Amino acid sequence: MNTYLFRKVTPLVALLGLGLTACQPDIEDDFRADKGSADFSRYIAVGNSLTAGFSDGGLYLEGQQNSYPSILAQQFALAGGGEFNQPLFTEAQNNGSGYLRLTGFTATGTPITANVTTNLAVRSATPLLYTRYDGRVDNLGVPGIRLADIQTPGYGSALGNPYFERITPSATPTQTYFQRVKAEASTATFFSNWLGNNDVLGYATTGGVGGTITRTDTFTLKNTRIINSLTANGAKGIVATIPDVTNVPFFTTVRVADIRARFKAVNPALDVYIQTSGTGGVQVVRLATDADLLTLQSSAVIGTTTTGNPFPVGAGVSATQANPVPNQFVLDATEQGLVRTATTAFNTAITTKANEKGLAIFDANAFFTRVATSGIVTNGVNNTAAFIAGNLFSLDGVHPTPRGYAVVANEMIRAINAKYGAKVPTVNANDYRGVRFPQ
Amino acid sequence: MNLKSLLLAGGALLSGSAAWAGGYQVTLAGIKNNGMGGVGVGLSLDQAAMFYNPGALAMVKERGVQIGANLTLARNAFVAEGGSQQRQLRNSVTTPFSLYAGFGPSEGKFRAGIAVYTPFGSKLQYADGWEGRTSLTDIDLKSIFVQPTVSYAITDQLSVGAGLVVLAYGAVNLQRDVPLPDSYGHIELDGKADTKLGFNAGIFFKPSDKLSVGINYRSKIDAVVKDGDVTFSGIPASFSSRFQATKFSATLPLVATTSIGIGIMPNEKLTIGFDANLAQWSKYRVLRFDFDQQINGSTSSESKRFYQDALTFRLGGQYKLTEGLTVRAGGVYDETPVKDGYVTPETPDNDRLSGTLGASYAFGKFSVDLSGQFVSIKKRTETQADLLNNGTTDRIAGTYKTNIVIPGIGLNYAF
Repeated sequence: MNTYLFRKVTPLVALLGLGLTACQPDIEDDFRADKGSADFSRYIAVGNSLTAGFSDGGLYLEGQQNSYPSILAQQFALAGGGEFNQPLFTEAQNNGSGYLRLTGFTATGTPITANVTTNLAVRSATPLLYTRYDGRVDNLGVPGIRLADIQTPGYGSALGNPYFERITPSATPTQTYFQRVKAEASTATFFSNWLGNNDVLGYATTGGVGGTITRTDTFTLKNTRIINSLTANGAKGIVATIPDVTNVPFFTTVRVADIRARFKAVNPALDVYIQTSGTGGVQVVRLATDADLLTLQSSAVIGTTTTGNPFPVGAGVSATQANPVPNQFVLDATEQGLVRTATTAFNTAITTKANEKGLAIFDANAFFTRVATSGIVTNGVNNTAAFIAGNLFSLDGVHPTPRGYAVVANEMIRAINAKYGAKVPTVNANDYRGVRFPQ
Repeated sequence: MNLKSLLLAGGALLSGSAAWAGGYQVTLAGIKNNGMGGVGVGLSLDQAAMFYNPGALAMVKERGVQIGANLTLARNAFVAEGGSQQRQLRNSVTTPFSLYAGFGPSEGKFRAGIAVYTPFGSKLQYADGWEGRTSLTDIDLKSIFVQPTVSYAITDQLSVGAGLVVLAYGAVNLQRDVPLPDSYGHIELDGKADTKLGFNAGIFFKPSDKLSVGINYRSKIDAVVKDGDVTFSGIPASFSSRFQATKFSATLPLVATTSIGIGIMPNEKLTIGFDANLAQWSKYRVLRFDFDQQINGSTSSESKRFYQDALTFRLGGQYKLTEGLTVRAGGVYDETPVKDGYVTPETPDNDRLSGTLGASYAFGKFSVDLSGQFVSIKKRTETQADLLNNGTTDRIAGTYKTNIVIPGIGLNYAF
C-alpha cells in the first residue's frame, strides 16, 4: 500500500515541481550588466581623502573597503572590470590612522566621541608615518592632497604627506603625485578623478584662519595637466565637481540661533559674539548673526569658561564685554563668499576640461546641494545631510559614511552609464551603514 | 471576495492573492467556475451561485453539498531600479477553500443555502535582505467568510436572491525591517479583524433555454483591526526608547463590486458565459496605522494607495462530452486598480491575463471537479522618479513580474 501510494504520488509531486519551475518568471536578462563603449579592464582612482575612503576623521580598513572606488570596481567587475587593488591596512592594523567613534550622548543630546587609538598602522610618530604598502595600487586617493600639491617634489617623502609616502616607491621618494598618476595611467583603461576639494576645504574648516584657497589659474592649470595625462592613452573616465562645503554637517550642526537660545535661557541679556577677520586682516569682535557658520569643533569650546573672563566662550553683552568664539571656529559671510566663489570657479575648470575630453561628470556640488535641501531616499530609507541622524555624513561632519560613499558610487555609475551607454548596476545603498552607534 | 479586498486594501495583498485579485477572489469561489475563467453571474451552474449571483440559486436544479480547495502557487521576480540581481520569493503557497450547501423543496420556488469561502489566504515572503525590506518582508492574510443565502424564483424566468456576508474571521500579519543607522531591526504587526456584515444580492433572468443574464452587487465592508499586536525585534538598546508601540489599529475598505453576466446555451451540451465586474477600488485612498505609543517619533503612519476603479472581463465555456464528462476553458482580462507610482510590495500588481482549464466527472449523485489556472501579471516597472513625483518613496522602485498557477479540486454531492 505504501509502495502503491508512493508510485501514485511521486509523479504528481514531480509534475507539480516542474510546473512551479516553469512558472517562475525570469527578468534577469533584461538587466544584464554591460560596459557600453567604456572599458573597465583597468580602473584607477585619482583623488584625495574622499577617494581613499576617509571617514570619521581617519583612514581605516572598513572605510577603505567601502570607498566609492572600491564600490565602483566591484560593480565594474560585473561589466568586464578587472582586479582593483587598494592600499589597505592589514587586519592587525585595521584602525589605520585612528578615527572617531561615537560613545554616547549627553543629557541634552550632544554626541560624545572618542578617538580609537588601538591597532593603528603608525610606524613612526615623528614624523608621522604609516605602515607602507608596496603592492600594486589602483586607488590613488591620498587624504589631504590639494590639486595645488600634485607637482610638488617630496610630497611623497618622509617629510611630505604620510598617506602618499606609504605608497610612494622607496626608490623614488621624490616622485610627485602627478608623475605617479601619469605612470599608472599608461596602463589604465578607465579612471575617476575627484581632486580639488582640499584647495578650498582647508581654508573653510579653519574658519578662514589656516590654509589658503588655491588660485583659480593654478587650479585650472593643474587640472588640465592631470586630465591630459589621464586621457593620453585614450582612457575614458569620470570626474566629479567640488561640493559647496558650507552644506556639510561640519558647518550646519552648530547654529548661532541655537547657541543664542541656550545663552538667553540662562540670562536674557546675553547674546552670541564672534571673533572674525575684519578689513585689512585686523581681527574684530562682533555680534553673531544667523548667517555666520560655526564649525563642528566649536561645540567643544562654546560655553566653557575662560580664566579672567566673566563670560563663557561665545557669550557677551556687547562687542567690548564678551568672550567671543575664536576666529578659527567661525566662517562668516565674507569668508563663505570667498569659498563659494572659488568653488564655482574650480567647478567651471573641472567641467570645461571634462567636456573638452568627452568625460562623464558627477556634479557632486549639485547633488550634495540637493541632498542638503531635500535629502535622498534609498530604496525606501530616508537619508539627509543632518549630523549622525542623516546616515550620510560620518562623525567628522565632512566625509561620508559607507552609506554616503555608496550613494556617491551610485550617482557616478548613473553618470557613467549615461555617458558611455553602459549598464553598470548600482548597489543597494542600504546595505552600507550610516554612523555606527555604541553597542 | 471581501477578504480579498481587505487584503488589497490593507496593503496586505500578496502576489498570490493577486490571482484572485482582479475582480476579487471570484475566480476561486467555485471549481467549475474556475475552469471557465471565473464566469458565473449569468449562469446557474451549481451551489457556488451563492457567491457569484445569489439570484441564480433558485434556478440551480440540484440541491446539494460541495466543497472545493485550491492551491495557489505564486512565483515572483523582482529587480530593483539600477540593480541586476533578481530576487525571488522565499515561499508563497496558500490554500483557499470553499464550502456550499443548498437546500429547498425539489419543485419549490425557494432555495436556501450557506456558503463558506476564503477569499484571502495570501502569503508572500520576500527574499532575505531584498532591496524593499524596509517596506515589507512578509505578509500573511487569512480570512473566512460565511454567507447564509436565500433565493426565490418569482417566475419561471426570473429569480432574485441575497446573502448576508459575514466576515467571520480575518487575520493579518505584516512584517518589515526597520532601518537603523548601522543595522536593521524588525517590526511585526499581527491582528484580527472585527466581525463585520455586508451583503451579496443578485437578479437572474432566463428568458429562454438558450439565454440567461444576471446582475450581482456585493457591498463594501470596512475591515477593522483594533488592538493588533506590535512586536519589535533586533532593536539595539541604544534605539529601544524610540520603538515603544505595543498595539495598532487599522481600517481597510473592502470595496463594493458590481457584476453583470450573460449565459448562452446554443445546445444542451454547450454553455458559454461572459462576465464583466467593476470593483470600486477608488475608495482605497490611504493605508493608515495608528499606534498606542510612538514609533520613531510618530504614533501613526500613513501610506498612499490612491487606487482607481477597475474592470474585469471574463469569458468561459463548458462542453458536455459524454454523460459523465464535462470539459471547460476560459480566459480573463483583469485591469489593475494600482496606478503607476503606487505599486507596493504587498501588491506587485498590474493588468493580468489568465487562461483556465477544467473538467468534471459525475458518478450518479457524486461528481468531481478539477480546475487549473495560469495567471500572468504583466511586468511592471516603477521608477524612483515616479515615487518622488507622487510622494510615495516609502516603497521601492524596480521591476516586478509575477506568475501564478492555481490547481483546484471540488467534490459535489447532490441530494
